[in-house]
Order: sequence, then structure tokens, then C-alpha cells
Amino acid sequence: MATKQEYTERNVQDYFISEEPFYVPTSDEIEIFESAYRQRIPVLLKGPTGTGKTRFVEHMAWRLSEGLTPRNSGENSRNGTSAKLPLITVACHEDLTASDLVGRYLLDADGTRWIDGPLTRAVKYGGICYLDEIVEARKDTTVIIHPLTDHRRTLTIDKLGTVIDAAEGFLLVVSYNPGYQNALKDLKHSTRQRFVALEFDFPDEEHEAQIISHESGCDTDVAEQLARLGLKIRNLKDHGLEEGASTRMLIYAGRLISEGVSQRRACQVSVTWGITDDPQVQRSIDEVVTSIFA
Amino acid sequence: MTNSDKNQNSKQGQGVNAPEGSKAPPGTPASLLAKKELASFPAPVLDRYENAFEKLSGRLAEETCEQWASEGLEIVRKTVRSWEAAAEFFEASVAVQRQLPSGQFLKWAKTGTSLCADSPSLAVAYFKSSPGAMLRLRPRYIDDWANVCRALYRGTWKSSALSCRLFEATPTLLETISFEEFCHFGEFLEVLSRRSYDQAGDALGAGCDLFPKISGDVDRFINLAQIVAEKSWRETASLFDSATASLIELGPQHRAPLITLARRLAVTGVSDASGVLKDGANTLNRVPTETRDRLLEMTDGVAAVSAPAAPEFLRVVPNVLERVTFEQMAQWQSDGLRAARDNDEAAVSYFKLESARSQEMLDSLSSSIELSRVREIILMYCMALTGRSIDIQAAQGLAEKNIGWFQGELPTTEGTTIYMPSVINRYTTKDENFGFFKVISTHQVGHIEFGSFTFNFVTPSNLFDDLRPRLPGARELEAARTADEEARKKASQQPEVVIFGHETPDNANIPTVAESEPAPEEKKLEFLTDMGRFFDLFHERRLALDAFTVLESSRIDGHVAGLYPGITAMYNVVRSAALESRPDVTDLPAREALVEFMVRVSLGQVDNMLVPSEHKEAARKLRRLIRTVTSEEASVEDGAEAAIRAYSILIDIKNEELDDEDFEQLDPEEDEQSSDSGDDEDVVDPESVIQQFMGQPSPDGESGDDSPDGQDDQTSEGESEEDYSSPQDVDYRGEFKPELSQLLSQMQLMENDEFSESGEMEPITQEQLEEMMKNAPEMELEQTEGDKDGEQQASEMLENLMKELQKRDPENQQFQPGPMQHVDEDGGPLNATEPDTYTYPEWDFRANEYKPDWCMIHEKIMTDGEPNFFRDTLAENASLLAQIKRQFELVIPEMYRKQKRLEDGEEHDLDAVLEAVIDLHAGVSPDERLYWRRNKNERSVAVAFLLDMSASTAEAIDEAKKPSDDWGAPDDPVEYMVWLRSRRSEGMRRTYKRIVDVEKEGITLLVNSLETLGDTYGIFGFSGYGRENVEFYTIKDLDEKFSDIVPRRIDRIAPLHATRMGPAIRHTIAKLAEVDARSRFLFLISDGRPQDRGYSREGVEKEYAVHDTRQALVEARQDGITPFCLTVDKAGHDYMKTMMEDFSYEVLPDISLLPVRLPQLYRNLTT
Repeated sequence: MATKQEYTERNVQDYFISEEPFYVPTSDEIEIFESAYRQRIPVLLKGPTGTGKTRFVEHMAWRLSEGLTPRNSGENSRNGTSAKLPLITVACHEDLTASDLVGRYLLDADGTRWIDGPLTRAVKYGGICYLDEIVEARKDTTVIIHPLTDHRRTLTIDKLGTVIDAAEGFLLVVSYNPGYQNALKDLKHSTRQRFVALEFDFPDEEHEAQIISHESGCDTDVAEQLARLGLKIRNLKDHGLEEGASTRMLIYAGRLISEGVSQRRACQVSVTWGITDDPQVQRSIDEVVTSIFA
Repeated sequence: MTNSDKNQNSKQGQGVNAPEGSKAPPGTPASLLAKKELASFPAPVLDRYENAFEKLSGRLAEETCEQWASEGLEIVRKTVRSWEAAAEFFEASVAVQRQLPSGQFLKWAKTGTSLCADSPSLAVAYFKSSPGAMLRLRPRYIDDWANVCRALYRGTWKSSALSCRLFEATPTLLETISFEEFCHFGEFLEVLSRRSYDQAGDALGAGCDLFPKISGDVDRFINLAQIVAEKSWRETASLFDSATASLIELGPQHRAPLITLARRLAVTGVSDASGVLKDGANTLNRVPTETRDRLLEMTDGVAAVSAPAAPEFLRVVPNVLERVTFEQMAQWQSDGLRAARDNDEAAVSYFKLESARSQEMLDSLSSSIELSRVREIILMYCMALTGRSIDIQAAQGLAEKNIGWFQGELPTTEGTTIYMPSVINRYTTKDENFGFFKVISTHQVGHIEFGSFTFNFVTPSNLFDDLRPRLPGARELEAARTADEEARKKASQQPEVVIFGHETPDNANIPTVAESEPAPEEKKLEFLTDMGRFFDLFHERRLALDAFTVLESSRIDGHVAGLYPGITAMYNVVRSAALESRPDVTDLPAREALVEFMVRVSLGQVDNMLVPSEHKEAARKLRRLIRTVTSEEASVEDGAEAAIRAYSILIDIKNEELDDEDFEQLDPEEDEQSSDSGDDEDVVDPESVIQQFMGQPSPDGESGDDSPDGQDDQTSEGESEEDYSSPQDVDYRGEFKPELSQLLSQMQLMENDEFSESGEMEPITQEQLEEMMKNAPEMELEQTEGDKDGEQQASEMLENLMKELQKRDPENQQFQPGPMQHVDEDGGPLNATEPDTYTYPEWDFRANEYKPDWCMIHEKIMTDGEPNFFRDTLAENASLLAQIKRQFELVIPEMYRKQKRLEDGEEHDLDAVLEAVIDLHAGVSPDERLYWRRNKNERSVAVAFLLDMSASTAEAIDEAKKPSDDWGAPDDPVEYMVWLRSRRSEGMRRTYKRIVDVEKEGITLLVNSLETLGDTYGIFGFSGYGRENVEFYTIKDLDEKFSDIVPRRIDRIAPLHATRMGPAIRHTIAKLAEVDARSRFLFLISDGRPQDRGYSREGVEKEYAVHDTRQALVEARQDGITPFCLTVDKAGHDYMKTMMEDFSYEVLPDISLLPVRLPQLYRNLTT
């Protein structure tokens, strides 16, 4: 029997982002997002994995909270009161159903009890709801977000027979990776045309080195080499690799290196083995690694 | 001899001979009788008799002599033709008598007589060869000898000829072999002659030649020959041939064991002895003498385990030894022995290097690396570095193309493909050898990565003041000068003016000049490449190219060192090895010494730099140039600018021979850096460079080789001047041909829009190419310049280059099927080099092992046909089609079935919850399965249809022989109607219908229905001829959307060649494996058993193919693919049972049922 503890409601404060997430803009995406938020236009983030989509949303949630809370009234923000903008992230998977988003009845000794899903919580509170990898979710799931993404800004909960109007601060952000090129996993047009889309790609070598260096704490030389490695491996996309090496992967390598793991080994475990299972491709990538790292 | 003697002789013989003289009155001496009687025969008989008698009577006792004479008479009397024998008898007697005691002599004569009784010609041969034979033959063996030879005689003309030949050959043979051996040889001939007199005759002749050369082993060899003659007599000729060819070369010490080995194998009857001798001798000759004994022992070892494998072992050893040391080979052999314990097939395939185990073993032992094994790795490595699609090929391939590259062993690139040596065996470990591969590929790919071939004449350099735009091109200079000359000519009317001390005889540049004559200043010079334009700046193009090569290579090395610190260690190893093999600087003339100095600097040599003392300053400058281009900012244009400067320095240095004492150590770099490091001042003064270039003589139209007259104005005393020759290639850098490469890669780059600024490129004409070839220094032919050969070679090269360019033209790119290559079934693994070819292993069930890369798939897209077939089939089967569709549509809702009573799921199941609550209230423990979930079995199906397109599908279906009505009719009434109707409609079609047509129909109907289901599906056809030509036709690829083109392709499905199912199945598996689907199916539709040329082993013909196919299907299942086989072979059940043992299959009783049955099967299988 499902137990209570599994579904304890987290305070919305838990979703606040209090520290500035590190984000290096590659273009005008910050400005675009701010404008979209002001106009409450839902945002679609496209791009391969590990290009900083999630980090961008976190950064924006923090940034917009800062905007909501005037900087001079520092006390307010420390209290974490209503002025903050929470970010509720849902990682979508192929078994994600509408009720996983909206909420469900739970069974306990006395009968049933309703619990809000993450989307409902964001709608009620007025935060950013971020549906990561939306295409992974089932098709019927995506339909429930439609009324939230147009002028209605409502969420229908048919189990309760209620319709909730979204709170003022609510914004839906979804991300998807168009790289899969699978007809089954394409976003429906009725869905995708409700968003403004921001395209994400890997940052250039210089920026990436900067990011790696910052995130992993490794020195700039190593960061540069890691960035170069990333670039080289991305050259293999569609030539044996389905996806290029993500920045995240490179950061992991950098972190391991900072921990004292040897450079080649760190790249092997965090990049080579992570990116592919094909022994031949692994070998080729290993050769690139050993060329770059002494 | 006196008369009295004669009388005495005759008197004495009287008594003895009396009973023999049948015709003569008794008492007449035989000698007299003979005289009388012989007179009636042709003259030589009597002459010889008298001659012999005269000589013999002196030496023999009278009695003996009489006996001799009567013996002669007897011979003569034997038959009509026996007088010839008698003549020979008399002739030989004198010589024979000298060697034999009289008793033996008479015995000899008697033997002859008895031979004559058999055949006079035998006797003739006997007597004729006797004098020679007696020299070597013990008298007591005479009879045996005659018998040995006589044994060959069987009363026929041929046998007598052979026998005679043996008699005649005896003297020669006995010179080298003992009589015992001779007897054996005779026996052998006798055995062989029973089969073929011709073979025996040949063997006899061959033996005469051979035996003297293998003395000591003759008996052994004859013994072998005897066995061969018994086992497989046809091979004796080749046995003697190969023995003559190979045994002679081999020392006596190894000959004996080899023959013994061959004999041993011959006894088993599994191998051909001649092959063993030939391969064995060949192999033994190729291994060091001291290892030969071991090798023979090892072969014996193999033979002990598996006789058929031993010859293979002997044959393959040289190949194996190319890759591993002898000791490692021994390990490989002993592993083979272990593998061979199972059975002969395994042993053979192991020692043929066909089995995977064998290759893996060898590979693990060998430290050498073959390109073919690491090609994929290097390929991806190179693609990673450059981000371009690059190809890796063996360097030999490029040299064979003959488009300007000559070295088959050096790495190189032409801008899109990296060419590498096919095997690296420089170091003792695999890692190091691979490291070398990596270094050379990094360097070659560096040319692409760092843009050696994207040189643009007008792009500014990063580190230099650009001189390129300020220098006049050589052709411009020439044009200006010619114009000048013309003007002067007109003025003075004086022909043939020599300007700048340089003549321009009727060479190829004249047309250019003539063209540019009207307006030399405005004439826009056309260059095929920017690189060509750059080299046109120089008079000494070869020198310029060499300078540029060194600088460009240094630049690449510099970039590599900067960007890839990880490879530096191996790079340094390779570089220092390269340094070690450099020529001694002091042996070179001055200019070459400085170029060599540059090479050495670029290879990282720091100490002990010898340079000509006179030119220390120049050397210092050159060194600085190299240092400049190795910095990370340097671009190819920097390399070019540096080359201009280096050239200007080098051109001033006379290429004179220097003595050792003229060389001095160059001070280390640090000293110099302290003085002038950091300042940006150019190494050489740009203005002076320009001056120098303005003053250089015009090129003579030849490809920039040093022609002494070209320098006359610079070097007035040219007597000590040597012709300049290029530095030795650096092995890891290989051949660098910037101009040609740029030309070749331009096409590809254009496609990528990297060259968009230059706009549409005009097609290159043959003339332009010719012009380029004349001018480009890198196109020089080695040592053949000028003569006829060279010209021919040049024109061939031109043609090849033209073709190559056309091939690269993207607009020209079409699929051109390569020539059908035929590979012997005994050959080794195949290598898929061409695009759209794939290799697959094949299962050898006897050896219980895969033969790696055994079959090659050529994937082709089916050509388009007419859409009519598809349309008509649909129209004619409209009702059946509707039925199938309905059936298929029913499949869809099945996906949405709810699964109830689950412990976890999407939602509560209301009924279950109610029950649970009731239970709770009743105090009973409730059922925990409260949830429902949608059936997770979302339809996710991928299917590949594999159609047999073998020639047998052309068979017409016998319409008359349809099964009786109930046979195969569906039970379901609706289906039955459909079935009936479809049969009727089929009946209305043309009567001549082939199996393949029915296959097509089935597919057509299915395709149409599949579209409703939304399953991923592909349609492929296969056929082929031989393991190297398995054709695989894509009618619709798995990820391809259905379009009008698919029906057109279906139309073109037609019977072709043979049926090699294994590779086709494996290729389909590979295709299906890429598809992301929950269930995957392989639908094999065939008309019979798999068969193909060589798709069998001797004796196990059918099973081989069946087992390979089965194995392929097992592989499919391992990959999570469900295979299904539908066949129409009426006799199919027996082999299908083996092939499909535990797989699903169906044998259709009648092919015409296929269109109906196929969709049914499909539906049943996938739901």
C-alpha cells in the first residue's frame, strides 16, 4: 500500500534558488527569456543534452527572482517570502502520465486524499514549471499543458472537477532535444507552436573552457584541453556517435582531474565510456584523449 | 689377325655350335654360316658382323667367338625385322666385350636374344645402350636390367617405345643413381605406365634431368613418386616439375626431410605431393638456414595431428613470418595444433589463416600493426581531429592510381584521404607500432586540420609582412620580357636574342607567351590553384617546394605539439628516429646542406648542428624562420611567406661541394635569442627579397629543375656547382604535394562552400592540367624526365588525373559499379574499401568456426521501373486488399488494452478500490492490486523483408498443378471467399507467371497494408555470384518513407544469380539493429535452398550453406530479431528442418498462395 511518506508535500520554498547559478550566455538568450517572462509567453528550449538548458532555466529563475525582489530590500529576500520565483522541474519519461503532473488521489486508512502534482503546485504558486525532455512524455500528457500555454492560462483537473487559473508568476518552460530524429519522438505541432523557442548548442571552445574551469575548479590549461577534446569528439557526431560530448561530461572530467585522478583516466571514465558502448569508437576517442592529454 | 687364327676359331666352334646351326649343314662353323646367311640381309648387317668378328676373334677364344656368331645368327633369324637388332648386336659387341668376361659376354648376348624374341626393337635399344650401360653396371645385373626395362613392354607400340627409352636412358641414369635405385625407378615407371605411357615417358625424361641434381635423395624421391603414381597418377608430371623447380635449389640437408614429409602426406592421400614440395622448398628457402630444421619438425608436428593441414601450414609460413618472429610463429603453430585436435577442417582453416582463432592468435603474437585492422579507429580519430569526412586508404592504392604520387610506402594525403602504409612493423611492441600510425595520421591529418590545402594567395599571413602580392609572377615576368624582346626584335630585326643569359628554345611556354603577346600587362594569368600561383613566383620551383615542404611540415608539427601535448612523447620518438636516418650534412653540397639543416631543425635537432661555415648567418636565419612558423598563430600563408624568405636565402647559396672542414657547429639558439628575440623585425629584408625576385631569370618552362644555364647570370663561375636535388623524404611526413592536393581537394571544398568566394568553378580542361603538370615541381617524374618513357608516363598520369578530377566533381557523382572482382574461394578475408560494401563472416560448420570477413555485400538501391505493376496488382486484388486492411486495422486497438489489478499503475481501479475498502471495513486484509495501467505493449514493430532474387525464381509456376480446392483454403468463410476470389483473379492473369512475380505481388499487397499499421518496414532483395559479390538491393530502406518510388522499385525485382543467404541475412540484421523498435522481425522469402559458387565445401556441399544460413538466423535471434522463413520449395521440408530447427518457418504448398498467406503470417507473427 502506498504510504504517506512518499508523497509528503515539499514546501514551495524548497524550490527557490538562492545562489546564483553559473551561466555564461552565448547570445541574447537572457534578454529574450526576460522579455518572454514579462509577456508570460511559454518558452521552449531546444538543444542537445548537456548544453546548459537546465542550468539556463535555473539561472533565469534566480535572475527573475532577483528582479522581483528589489536588491536594496535585502531582508525580504532573505526571508524567502512571496517575492521569490520557484522553479519546479519535472524530468519527463515515457511513462509520465497526466496524473503524475497534475496530481492524484492517494489511499490511506480513511479513504482517499488528493495530492497536487508538480505542475499544479507551480500553477497555484506562480512559479516556473520546467518540463525537461518533454518529448519523452506520452503524447496525451502533453495535451494537458495546452490550456496553460495560451491566453487561458488555466489548468483543468478533471479528477477534482476543477479548473485552476494560473497564478501571476507562472510560466511553463519545456525543453527537448531534436537530435533524436525519431518520428515517434517529435513534438506535435499543436504543442510546439505555443512556445517561443531558444536554440542551445555547445558553446565555443573559449567559452566552454571558461565554463569547465569555473564548474570543475580545474586549471585553465586543463579546461582548454577538455574543451578541445569536446570539440574533437563532437566532430564524430553522425560518424559513430549519436550525440557529441556534452559540456557536463567535460565538467565531470574536470572535476575528477581536480580530485587528482590522472587526466587520461578521468577523460576515459567520464567521457569515453560514457558517450558510447561501441568498443571501436571508444578506442578512437581514447586515441584523441591520449593525443590531447599527456 | 691372321688367317690361321680365323681357321682355328672356326674349327674350335664347330663342335659346340653344331646343334644350333639349324639350316647349315652340320659341322659348318657358325662364323662362316653367319657370313653366308647375313649376306642376304641389308648390307650394314654383314659389314658390322665382319667388322666385329675381326676385332673379337683376336680377343675371344675361338669357341666363344663361334658362340657369339651363332647368337648373332639366332637373333637375325628370330623375326623379319630382327636383322636390325643383329646389326646393333654386332656393333655393340666390340665395346661390350671389352668390359665383360667372356662368360658374361655370352650371357649378355643371350639376354639380347631373348629380348629380341619379345620385340626386336627392344633388343635394338638394349644392344645400343649396352656399351654405355656396361660402364656402370655390374655384369651380374645385366639380366635384371633387361628385365626391369622389359617389364614396361606389354606388346604394344607405345610400351615398346617406353621400354626402349628406358634402355637408352640407362647409361645416363646410371651415372647418377645406383642400380638399385634404377630398379625402383623402373618399377615406378611400370606402375605409371599402366595408367599412361605418355606420363611415364615424361617422367622418364624428367627423371633423367632431375636425378643428377638431387643425388643422394633419388631413392627417397622415387619412393615418393611411386606412391603418387599409385594414389593419383595424374600428378606425377607436376611432381617432377615442382621437384625440378624447387628441390634443386634446396640444400641436400633439408631435401631429404622434405621429401619424406611429402611422402608421408602422399601416403595419406590428402595432399598433392608436388604442392608440398614446391611450397615447402619455397618456404624453406625463405627462412634462415638455422631455422629450417625446426620448421620441418613443426610441419611434421602438424602432419601428425592433421595431414591435410600440413601443406597449408607450409604454404602460409612465409606470410606468417612477415608478421611475427620465428619463435612467435612456433607459438602460433602449437596453438594451431591444439585447435586442430578437434578435426581436420578446423586444422585446415586454422593453418590457412582463415579461422578467426588463427588470426586472433597471430594478431596477439605479432607486434606489427596492419592498417586494415586499425583503419576504423584511425579513421574516426582523424575525423574527430578534423571534423571532416575523411577516408583512410593504403598508400599503395594512391601510387597505383598514378596521379602524381609515387611512393607506396610513405604516408601522404591529397586533401580528403589519408594514405598510410599497409603495415607497420618498426618497433617491437604493438603499442609503439600503433603509436607510429597515430603519429603519421596526426601529421597527415594536420595538413587538413591546419589548412595546408586551403592556401589562398591573397589571404594575409599572420606573422609576416606579405610579400606575395608584391612579387611578380614568373609567367608575368616572362611575358613582360618576351614583349620586350619582341620590341627589340622589331627594332633590330635580329633573331634569337638571348636575354638574361637564358635561352628559351621551342618549349611549351611559347603558346602562353604568344597568347599574352597582345597585351602582356592586362593578361590575367589563370591558375588552377592558389598554390600553383604561389609556386609560379619562383624560378627554382623545386627549391621553393622543398623549402615550403619543410616549413609547412614544421608548422604542422608545431600545431600538433601545441594542441596535442599527449602525443608529444611518441612524436619525439618518431622524430628522433627520423633524425637518425638523415644523411650526413657534410656529404652534401652547400645549398643542399642548408636544406638538410632546415629538415633537421624541423625535426627538433638542437645540438651538434653542422652548417657550412660560410653560411652560418643564413642558417641562423633559416632556423628563425622555422621557429616562427612553428608558433601556434602561424597559418599556411605564414608558411608560404616563410618559404619566400627561405628561398631568397637559399637561392644565393651556391650548391658547391664542401670539405668536412668547411663545416662548423652552429651556436645554440639561446645565445641568439638573447640578442634579437622579441623584436618583430623580419628575418630578411623584404625589399631585398623583392629586388632579388625581380631579377630572377624567367623559368625555362621545364619544371623548375636546376638547369645550370638558368643560373648563369647569378653564378658566373658555375664550375663547382652541383645540380640541386631535394632532401630525402622524412618517413613520417611522407610525400607532400600541396599543389596537386589543393587541386584535388578543391572539388570537395567547393561542395562544402568553403570556396564559395571563387564562385562556380569552370571545369578543368586537359590543357590546363598539362600546363600545371609542366610547371608544378611536385609532378616531376623521377629520373625519367625527357625520355620517351617519361613522356608516356606523364600522359598516362595526366589521363588518370583527369579521371580522378571528374570522379570528384560532385555533379558527376553517380553510382558506378566497380569491376566485378572474383576472388578465389581459397583466398583470404575480404576488405571492404569501396563505398556501400560491407564484409561479413561466414560460418564453417565443419571447423565450427567463423571465417572472418569472408563475404562482401554490395549494397545498391534498386533502380526505378514502372509503377504499373504495383497499380495493377492492387487493382486486381482489390477485395483481398480490403480484407487484409481490415484485418490489420483490427490490430491497432489491441495496443490500447487496459491491464487491471496491478500493484502499481497509472490510476486506481475503481472496482478494486471499492473491494479493498469493503475488505478494510470488514477487517479483512485487502488485495493490494488496486491499479490499472494501459497495456505497455505499444506497437513498436520493425520488419525487414528479404526477398530471394536468385535465378531460380524465374521458373514459371505451373498453373495447372494447383492444389485441389480445399487444400490450403482458409477455414474462415470470409477469408475463404477472398481466397477464392484471389485465386480466380490470378487465373485471369497471363498464364506465364514466375515465382518472383508472386513474391512481388505478395510484397505489394503487404506494403499497402503495412502503411495502415504504421510499422517500420524495409524491403530488400538479394542475389549474387560468389562470396565477393553478394548483391543486396534496397527496395525500401527501413527509415525510408513510402513514396512513389517504392512501387517503381518493386517493379524491378527480377531473378538474378545465386542465393547466398548468410551474408544477406547478416546485413539485414545489421540494418535492423539500428532501428529502435520493441520487436524486430526478419522475413525471409525464398524459393529454395541456399546455394552459390563456393558456398560449400567439397563433399559437404549442401550442408555448408544450410548451416551458414542457420547460423545467421541464430545471430539474428541473439540480436533480438525474430526470423521467419517462408519458402515455396516443395522439397523444402528436409533441409528446412535442419536450417530452421527451432525457428518458425512455413513451406507453402503452392506458390500462388503467397500473396494471401504473407499478410496473414505477418499479422500472426507481429501481434
